[in-house]
Amino acid sequence: MSKLFPKSANRLPLQIVVYLVVLAGIATAGVTYYMTPKYSRVGYAPVQPVPFSHAKHVQEVGLDCRYCHTNVEKSGHSNVPSSQTCMNCHSIIKADSPLLAPVRESYSNNTPVPWVWIHQTPDYAYFNHAAHVNRGVSCVECHGKVNEMDTVTHSKPLSMAFCLECHRDPAARIRNPGDVFNLNSSRLAEQGEAGVKAAERFKHDWKLMPPQSCSGCHR
Amino acid sequence: MKRKFDHPAPAAGEELSGPRYWRSLDELAATPGFQAQLEREFPEGASDLNGVDRRNFMKLMAASFALGGVGLAGCRRPEKFILPYGKSVEGVIPGLPSYYATAMPVRKSAVPLLAETHQGRPTKLEGNPSYEPNGGAASLTAQASILDLYDPDRAKAHTKAGATLKAEDVSSMLSAAARTYAASQGAGLAILADESSSPTRARLVRELRAKLPRMLWAEFEPVQDEPPLAAAQAAFGAAVKPVYHFGKAKRILSIDADFLQADTGSIANIRGFSKGRRVTKKDDAMNRLYVAESALTLTGSMADHRLRVATSHMLALTAKLVATAYPASESAVAPLSQGLKVDQKWVEACVADLMAHRGAALVVAGAHLPAEVHALVYGLNTVLGAIGETVTFVQAEVTPGASTISALAAAIKGGAVKTLLVLGGNPVYNAPADLDWAALQKSVPEVVRLGYHIDETSALNPGATTHLAAAHYLESWGDARAYDGTVLPVQPMIQPLFGGITQIEVLARLAGEQNVDSYALVAATVTALAGPGANLEKAMARFLHDGLLAGSAHRPAEVRYDTAGIQRLFGSAQPLPALGVSNLEVRFVADAKVDDGRFANNGWLQECPEPITKISWDNAILVSPKLGKELGIDPKGSLVQVARKETAEFYMGKENARVFELSVGGRRVRGPVHIQPGLADYTVVVPLGYGRSVAGRVGKGAGFSAYPLRTSAAPHFVAGGKLSDTGARMFLANTQEHWSMEGRDIIREANFEAAPKPDGNSYQENPGYVKKVGMESHSPSILGEYGEKMSPQDRATKIPRGNSLYDTPKFDGHNQWGMSIDLNTCIGCNACVVACQAENNIPIVGKDQVLRGREMHWIRLDRYYSSGTIDAEAFGGPGNVELPSDPQVSLQPMTCVHCELAPCETVCPVNATVHDEEGINTMAYNRCIGTRYCANNCPYKVRRFNFFDWNQRSLDSLYMGPASEFGMPELLKMAKNPEVSVRMRGVMEKCTYCVQRVQNAKIQHKAKLMQRRQGAAVSLEEIRVPDGAFQVACEQTCPAGAIVFGNILDPKSAVSLAKGREQDYAVLGYLNVRPRTTYSGKLRNPNPRMPDFQPLPFSRVEYSRKNEPASHGHEHGGHDKSQKPGKKSPAHGATFDASKTGGLS
Repeated sequence: MSKLFPKSANRLPLQIVVYLVVLAGIATAGVTYYMTPKYSRVGYAPVQPVPFSHAKHVQEVGLDCRYCHTNVEKSGHSNVPSSQTCMNCHSIIKADSPLLAPVRESYSNNTPVPWVWIHQTPDYAYFNHAAHVNRGVSCVECHGKVNEMDTVTHSKPLSMAFCLECHRDPAARIRNPGDVFNLNSSRLAEQGEAGVKAAERFKHDWKLMPPQSCSGCHR
Repeated sequence: MKRKFDHPAPAAGEELSGPRYWRSLDELAATPGFQAQLEREFPEGASDLNGVDRRNFMKLMAASFALGGVGLAGCRRPEKFILPYGKSVEGVIPGLPSYYATAMPVRKSAVPLLAETHQGRPTKLEGNPSYEPNGGAASLTAQASILDLYDPDRAKAHTKAGATLKAEDVSSMLSAAARTYAASQGAGLAILADESSSPTRARLVRELRAKLPRMLWAEFEPVQDEPPLAAAQAAFGAAVKPVYHFGKAKRILSIDADFLQADTGSIANIRGFSKGRRVTKKDDAMNRLYVAESALTLTGSMADHRLRVATSHMLALTAKLVATAYPASESAVAPLSQGLKVDQKWVEACVADLMAHRGAALVVAGAHLPAEVHALVYGLNTVLGAIGETVTFVQAEVTPGASTISALAAAIKGGAVKTLLVLGGNPVYNAPADLDWAALQKSVPEVVRLGYHIDETSALNPGATTHLAAAHYLESWGDARAYDGTVLPVQPMIQPLFGGITQIEVLARLAGEQNVDSYALVAATVTALAGPGANLEKAMARFLHDGLLAGSAHRPAEVRYDTAGIQRLFGSAQPLPALGVSNLEVRFVADAKVDDGRFANNGWLQECPEPITKISWDNAILVSPKLGKELGIDPKGSLVQVARKETAEFYMGKENARVFELSVGGRRVRGPVHIQPGLADYTVVVPLGYGRSVAGRVGKGAGFSAYPLRTSAAPHFVAGGKLSDTGARMFLANTQEHWSMEGRDIIREANFEAAPKPDGNSYQENPGYVKKVGMESHSPSILGEYGEKMSPQDRATKIPRGNSLYDTPKFDGHNQWGMSIDLNTCIGCNACVVACQAENNIPIVGKDQVLRGREMHWIRLDRYYSSGTIDAEAFGGPGNVELPSDPQVSLQPMTCVHCELAPCETVCPVNATVHDEEGINTMAYNRCIGTRYCANNCPYKVRRFNFFDWNQRSLDSLYMGPASEFGMPELLKMAKNPEVSVRMRGVMEKCTYCVQRVQNAKIQHKAKLMQRRQGAAVSLEEIRVPDGAFQVACEQTCPAGAIVFGNILDPKSAVSLAKGREQDYAVLGYLNVRPRTTYSGKLRNPNPRMPDFQPLPFSRVEYSRKNEPASHGHEHGGHDKSQKPGKKSPAHGATFDASKTGGLS
């Protein structure tokens, strides 16, 4: 029996402990780096060239999302409005505000305002807004309560797992088509038993079958 | 109960009876080297790093890996911006493409197009479906022409003697010239322009000539794609040109005409031709094509009967045809055909067949042939009652008073030209060699050139030349006429990227027009054409919207054949040149890709293999096998070859061509020789358009220029050529040396009509003939009995497992995509290859990489030859006595067939290639780690690997690794389709069924449906994308309509109907991979009365000889599903017995 374990085996317990500690360290570092909000950009709220407040425009002025994001129902890309859209009102209201100088400049020179892009998906992921908002998925599902934000903040991870969660169970998250742009509405599934039933019915009636395969998003 | 099934053992000596379709002469010769190559997944060298073995590579890279670990922070996403418009742009929806009508001018006609633009950036061209004759199809060159817009080597500024000119300088210079020459009435001014069909240009030239009557206006095109007007002038007394209606023609004879590719109007020709060719059910009619030609063209490859005749003998052949069809003319035309050696029976039977179809027959002559031939052909068409039926004549586009380049040369020599304005063209490169144009141009004191590139003409004498940067047609306002005369708009998609100007602007300035804005010039022309009383603004809006001026096609002219008139054309009959190895006929043809050289700097076209030779990045001197033999360069029988030149001819799978010197009348060029079966014995074919000395980085150094051999006396063909070996060798990037399918039942063919002795093999006797060919015919159905009974829709979703243990993927999507490719109508034009390249951001890899078999095209067009007599000696046949000269050609577009049980998926270790729920075999590029197992396991060899970062590194520094510059030129970035990922190094890619188009069509359909229905319930039928709502890129551009894509769950969709035809089969179907792309078998329609009638297509003859032991005789049955085990079938012999005895276990 004595031949079975060489003498060096005496150090084995210590080695195992050391390895485990190193492994745990790497795992901790990895989890901290890749799985925390920092990596998925939750909380990302960069300084924009113009301190535009969604809260003010939606809650005080009462604008619909689609007043500015005009093509969200038609196009895959939800457009950020041109400066002309801003100037519809701001040529009269706060026409001289220094904060709006970039917008006025953009409008008169026809140069873009460099809005910092917050909700980015990778180049190989092709998210389509029209596909979602026309099928009962509200803005709030991915963007959070933008209507209450003074500064737009990245509020959901927008990782592939996040997408798939909903694609696997759309009934849990859809809204009445009329509520899609009402960010204060609640999901059908959260409206009691009748809501759950309605969600199931909509899923059936609209033939909801969100893709779970690669080609749904990657081309 | 599992069935055991034994294949019949081939008889001794038949064991390896050779590849039946051969793809290169060495494959035919079955050399051991080729055999070794066949075994390899990639050609030798394709999967090796140059000069670095894997171990060294790992050593080198270790340092990089270590460094890479440090910079984790680099993984953070960089800050990016959203840049909306300052002022909204009408009609632009970010994220959705807009489509505008435009047209690509080509010589005297134009291709009507729709351009897809993304926020003002054109990315893809498609044919304009409003133009009925083309039906939305576009040609190979039209598809690729968008890349020229983003050519980083295009002229980026106006320059004079090397210094940049501002736009104002240019206009003042032109106005000054206008004033100067107005004083002298244009004396001393000469303009050399390319041909154009633009009504605006014609109008401006008229105005200019009225103002400057002494100005010399000359037009020159090196390549002729319309019949010479002299013939029509003589025969009909009018300047008319023929417009063919192939759709109405049941019998077609082509006299050296490549009407499917080289001649103008080819898109409409293909559409018409394939309409007459398409057979969907037993009692459909099918046209028959006779071709007499010297080169092997795509038209020739579609021929049912093909006669090899030298081009210089075509007049004699035509005379013979005329004499046979119209005996009254015999005495007049007989002298012309003296000495012609063709089979009299061929001519007689052909003419008899044409005459039997009077009114539905058509004779077409090649545009390069002399006027005499055309005049006779017009007569032949008159006799055949074709005029007004299958061919109409319309007014030709002529610039009145246009002079020729020879007259201009004389004027320059005479010192009469002080200022030479060259509009387009490239005369220094392609003017007839006897003019010595370069010296002439140098002798002119002032040369102004409007050109797209700084090419040979602009770079000739930079000190004395002013170069004006021309705008691309996608940047300019203009107009053009389609081949039938329909006026088309040339509409800009984008502001000129480099301030280029158009021909009409230059002419307007010279003419001293008040308004030189191109749009205004075009609007003036169009409103004039629209006629008085029309609402001009509306007419222009309609014109731009439709992309054509409705009803502007030329009215068919009333023509009367004038026998007396044509006699003026004929001088005394010349004796036919006796061709031989020391007196070769040299034919100059426009290249299928780079045309006359205008597309030489277009990477897509350079890399696209030539449809017949399959050579990319080069042209070659094409010689017939017989000539090759006489020159001593043919691959001889396989045994000889082992000792001889096998490594020399194909070194590591690369075609190692001999460089020969071709001389005609004291002029010489050097080029590689490629043996091309199907040529007339002593005709040497040299494609033009290569060997550009001043082109961009793509065009420079590709091929050799044949222009130095051409003279103004004999621009299209000339006798007296001689070939001599220089001893040098060069590699040709021949793509059909790779990817061999070892000649099985890949393309299944049959004759259309029954042979005089019916054998049950023709389509009309057995429309399901494809089931008699191939491994499947010898085995029980892979679907099992249960699967056979299922409907195609059930089969696609439920996947009958047969006896498979493999758990199949779920196909529960609303649509199930599938494709059908009709091999009977595919003419192999390669438009799909480049359309796919443009749509899917497919990079080019360069000649060096193509030589290594790393080309990236998602579609490849396989071209197979068969001769019915091949039996390589090594395989026990009679051996190669000599190379066949008259092969039958079979073409097949091959791309990912989206197997339902895909072999690539099972071997991917990271699930990077998996099925989606709608039957598409998807590639997740971001998952792929580049093991290439999938490519290894793909039986169709359609997967392409990014061996390098083709997009980010320049092709000449691929091997420099990180030392080379990283990043795509800004200009090229603009050409990319934003809907498709640009792939990086180390990932696999392949056809995705244009998944971006599929998904966008689904989303658009659903979004509209939901908005219309306000959330009310929709049915399954409604949620499906309607058939025809979108097309994939290859299908969209196919002029033959050979490709059909759609939802196979819809039994009424076009693809379901196509797949439901009896001639539908799956390539390599016996592998049980169940491809979603299936093929319709090819048909040939030979005439039993012809001396070269073949009762079976050659490929079937070869198939039978390989697969049926002698005991079978030549009869071949395969297994009919109706036959039950135990019932003896005499036709089956051994095959059937085997199934019976080993049948049930």
